Amino acid sequence: MISVRNLNFSYADDQMILQDINLEIEDGQYVAVIGANGSGKTTLIRHFNALLRPASGDVLVNGLSTRYVKSHPEIRRMIGMIFQNPDNQMVGMTVEEDVAFGPGNLGLSSAEIRKRVDEALEKVGLSEYKTRPPHTLSGGQKQLLAIAGVLAMDSRFIVLDEPTSSLDPESRFIVLEQLKQLNQEGIGIIHVTHNMDELANAHRVLVLEKGKLAADGAPGDIFRRVEWLRDLGLAPPKITELIWYLRQKGFDIREGLFSIQQAGDEIISLMNAHRLKAVNM
Amino acid sequence: MYNPYQYVPGSSLVHKLDPRTKIITVIAFSLVIMQVKLISLLAAAAFIVLCSQLSRIPAARLLNTLRPVMPFFIFLFIIYIFFTAGTPLISLGPVQITSEGLAMGVLQVGKFILLVLAASVLTISTSATTLTMGLERLLRPINKLGGSSYDIAMMVTLALRFLPTLLEEMNNINEAQLSRNSNLSSLGLKGKIRSIVYLSLPLTLNFLRCCDELADAMEARCYRHGVRTFLYELHLTPMDYYLIIMVIITTVLCLIYL
Repeated sequence: MISVRNLNFSYADDQMILQDINLEIEDGQYVAVIGANGSGKTTLIRHFNALLRPASGDVLVNGLSTRYVKSHPEIRRMIGMIFQNPDNQMVGMTVEEDVAFGPGNLGLSSAEIRKRVDEALEKVGLSEYKTRPPHTLSGGQKQLLAIAGVLAMDSRFIVLDEPTSSLDPESRFIVLEQLKQLNQEGIGIIHVTHNMDELANAHRVLVLEKGKLAADGAPGDIFRRVEWLRDLGLAPPKITELIWYLRQKGFDIREGLFSIQQAGDEIISLMNAHRLKAVNM
Repeated sequence: MYNPYQYVPGSSLVHKLDPRTKIITVIAFSLVIMQVKLISLLAAAAFIVLCSQLSRIPAARLLNTLRPVMPFFIFLFIIYIFFTAGTPLISLGPVQITSEGLAMGVLQVGKFILLVLAASVLTISTSATTLTMGLERLLRPINKLGGSSYDIAMMVTLALRFLPTLLEEMNNINEAQLSRNSNLSSLGLKGKIRSIVYLSLPLTLNFLRCCDELADAMEARCYRHGVRTFLYELHLTPMDYYLIIMVIITTVLCLIYL
């Protein structure tokens, strides 16, 4: 569990990047973090694995405070992080050595490393690329490799900072599906994005605005506030926007839908209702 | 890009040796070769031929490794034959080739050629990973002196890992500039120098940013100063021990008697 208590952070004294953030993230949750550029998303998630430390307040991971350097290895083992640019996070000369980097840093035996590397690569479907140099993989595969690197450390959470922003739509889909599957297996996901269409799998959405936690709730509740999101400079998911327009036009459609499936079902049932009405008249 | 020194997978005796054995042999060889005379140079050459035969590296491939360093060898040879005092062999106006110079030239260039070949047998028969690990293990004693063999191995690994990324980046920048019609290299020497500046500046900036991100990524994956473990572990076989002892004895004898 990650607990953030009264977190304040600034790089320079005059400008607060994060102000008075309070939140708790349970194990196994899929949390999306959204916000305009410069709202403090990246700064916030970098507190979760102690890459940054609070100016005041506390960040606790399973009760361990990020204040103490001594607990950093354990915190970073529990909270794996995937960065935006896949190229700049690979450190091995081959795919398997890259996955072995984390477990190697934990000081595991080479038999244990072997086991974890094989399992992790199997899980993300990169087993056949084991001995390839990582720079020869595609963008999507590179992000899967980064995910395997985290899995091999046996992390509780995977924190991702706009992991799909440099990927083509197909790779993006593959990475998102992988995250969904890992979440179903009990791994918590914290996903920073500015593409709202990627949030269909999230249980919970955190909205940051100028370093403050502006909203924290279920995706349905957040995305219902279409105009508010627009004011923050965020485009709501396209489906939510479609529903919103239909409601504006006077159609009696349920709010808070954000998956294509749900919206499709809703529109079809609405059409059926209309047809019935027409027959009855 | 063709790299003549690159690892070629194989299953020969030399491929299977522990990297430490090979590194020690190359170091010992380079110590000995500095002492050799013209006749013992032949013995050293015979040793290299033996190694290349045992490693089953095709001769053409091995000789290719000399190509990039050839200009240096030719330069060295010219210096020796023209600038060594002794009995004149041929006179070309003010300069003369001496027999001592010729002997010296053949000896010195021969030494360097054998050195390059020895190192090439090492790099062609050993993967970069294993080579780095061997280096790391050999450097372990410095951990007791406050250094870190792990950090050195990590630096070597990262340098090798990021070389292709850096090249790709360089091509991108070059293409971006060409697409905006900045073909400076056609403007003579001055243009060529400026094109290097225009290429290296963005490249350096990008690379510094890359290092920054890399440092974060490594830290996020629990990298720290101290002991690490590895996916592969090195094991010295009886054959390795036997060879290392042989190499050390031969080296000591050569250094004393040559």
